[in-house]
Amino acid sequence: MNERPNILFINTDQHSWDAISAYGNPYLHTPNIDALHRNGTSFRRSYCTDPVCAAARSSWATGLYTSETGVPFNGGHLHPETPDLGQVLSDGGYQAFHCGKWHVPGRDVRESFQTLYYGQRNIGAGGAAYYDSASTHAVADFLTNYDSDKPFYLQIGYVDPHDVCEYLHNHEEKRIPNPVEQGIVSEDALPPLPENFDYDARETVLHRICRRVDDALIHAAILKGIRDWDELHWRYLRWNYYRFIEKVDAEIGRVLALLRETSLHHNTLIIFSADHGEACGSHQMFQKFTLYEESIRVPFIVARLGDGVLVEKDRFDQTHFVSGVDLFPTVCDYASIDVPEGLQGSSLRPLAEGRDVRWRDYAYIESNYWGRSIVTGQYKYVTEYKPKATEDFLPPGPDATQFGLAQLFDRQDDPGETKNLAEDAAYGEVVKMYQDKLLRQEVKLHRQQIVHPSPKRIISNWGDRLRSYWQHNG
Amino acid sequence: MNDNSGRHWSFDYNHGAQNPQFAQELIGTLREYYAETTACDTRIGQTFTHAYNILPNYWRGYGGGANEELSIGTAIIERNKDNGFWNYSVHYENTTSGENLRMQFRCSDKHYRSLTDSWRIDARNSGDDTYSELRCKGYLVEDSEVRLRINGNEILAGTVGASVKLTCNWALFDVIPALAQTIRESDDEIDLVLLEDLEQLRPKSRLGFLESIQTPFPLDGYYLYGTGLLPSYWWLDTHGDIAIASTFFETLVLKEKIGENA
Repeated sequence: MNERPNILFINTDQHSWDAISAYGNPYLHTPNIDALHRNGTSFRRSYCTDPVCAAARSSWATGLYTSETGVPFNGGHLHPETPDLGQVLSDGGYQAFHCGKWHVPGRDVRESFQTLYYGQRNIGAGGAAYYDSASTHAVADFLTNYDSDKPFYLQIGYVDPHDVCEYLHNHEEKRIPNPVEQGIVSEDALPPLPENFDYDARETVLHRICRRVDDALIHAAILKGIRDWDELHWRYLRWNYYRFIEKVDAEIGRVLALLRETSLHHNTLIIFSADHGEACGSHQMFQKFTLYEESIRVPFIVARLGDGVLVEKDRFDQTHFVSGVDLFPTVCDYASIDVPEGLQGSSLRPLAEGRDVRWRDYAYIESNYWGRSIVTGQYKYVTEYKPKATEDFLPPGPDATQFGLAQLFDRQDDPGETKNLAEDAAYGEVVKMYQDKLLRQEVKLHRQQIVHPSPKRIISNWGDRLRSYWQHNG
Repeated sequence: MNDNSGRHWSFDYNHGAQNPQFAQELIGTLREYYAETTACDTRIGQTFTHAYNILPNYWRGYGGGANEELSIGTAIIERNKDNGFWNYSVHYENTTSGENLRMQFRCSDKHYRSLTDSWRIDARNSGDDTYSELRCKGYLVEDSEVRLRINGNEILAGTVGASVKLTCNWALFDVIPALAQTIRESDDEIDLVLLEDLEQLRPKSRLGFLESIQTPFPLDGYYLYGTGLLPSYWWLDTHGDIAIASTFFETLVLKEKIGENA
């Protein structure tokens, strides 16, 4: 047996924190992720660093927030000098493997990892229906043939439930009857509308321009396609989303079943998480990109099937705020490898082992270059930076003079985030306190200027739209 | 439900690929097939084969360049009857995933095509990475346990009730024509247990009638949905062949038939 454990990082894509049957969701059946929970610790206060694929994945790969990686949205470009997890693990004596979705623009996965499977046409954002089963085949081949003295790190990037995006794209240019009209599903088989289907329209400018207005910066065609959706269409979206999750759960099941059959399972740590969540009708929203809970909160489980690694089993951690930046240091801690200087995250190992350690009392999330959020046990604060008069391509912050509009939610009284308290004078002190908290967090960041032309172009275009709003609205 | 263009919503994916147009490709493939099928030499009782063009349903951003062919592969379903059993050989080739699957299985029942004995899957990856091939053998233990053997390791894929008829999604190309009349007359759904691609057990699957359309061709639509399954739509033509099978991510369009169903 290797002294250092093998590490298997299984990730799904666009998988919201509560879409797991073991967590009490009655509308889907995920027996295999449930098994991971039974064999590990589920961190319930787990947040992505940024609610889009490439950005969140750049944090997994580097242990940095997205204003530091060069990938503050899907069109970014990882700073070339930033080391990634594959490189660090390989230098530390691990065999570092990748299989499935990577989606960290600017970094060739084949240069940082040994790739088991990456598609004939390299896997991009979506395509679970083609890639996930092949990924499982590749992992099955790997697990049943692994023969090395070195421990391995294997990250499996499953694409589902990201294919729910394809479900939405399919509605862009045609009207699909709701399932009751189709006659294929009865109304009582559909999940209900989310309790926070209705929302408070006092949102940040960034949020509205990205997702609400007819000429939205992102997915305007989907917005147009779903304008006339009835309640059943929204509920059917949720029904379909859960089917995508069941599909990927079955893939995970085959991997776990095969791992159990090999001797590798005795000494393999398993980490399960998702890059970001899915709105799935909450706030009449679809996909991700926003800083609402459904988009930014993700599952995070640390588990083991054997006795070679210490992890507390069948336990919910409801206390500690976990972030995507914690993956890198956690893996390195279990691998007994020093992390590069400047990492933002912390190792979850002591928490997974049931030890009490000093820990952050909030989660920090960025979105679409200008959006920011601080989540604590009591409140969630969301704000945005106004675009600079002349863009210098240095991610904004910390700068209180440039804050735009804000949202404040009382997470105890209003967990669905339906009432924005930011403009309520009674909460002025709370807003100030959270602004200070945000600024203190941002002082710790090592923001670098974005120099790659592709993300610069996006920042310029989006910045012009935001600037136009602020010029007309003070 | 479909418009005059013949683009039923269940197989209208023009938004997904701009050049060539999805609908043109789909209807063109079928038109060519029906033009040729009248002159086709059929051989009752021999090997019977359907070949399908695979068209992508997905968003244009994941596709190739404008100069690439729209078709991303072929699915060939070959079967022959042997002493009351049907032996299937399915070849699925997908140029996007790069994975080619060859699936062989044997069925016992004319209508439900229940899996019998053992089956095998040979997967080959034509991409550039370490994974090159995987061989998997599956079998039923005591008519209830579905087991898979991969490189000497055996796993349980799931369990089914002893009385349940377990079939494979690739046999639906025969199950739907065989049960079509029953489904339409009873107005009820048919319960199925599917072993998708001979690996993934979908225990609560249902097959029902959707609607009939006249354009682009006279077709009867059936749907399949269930736990762990995205709804798929299957269109049966007047010759008793599945002309279009539109799953969530791809649409199979009949392009060739050799032989006649036994």
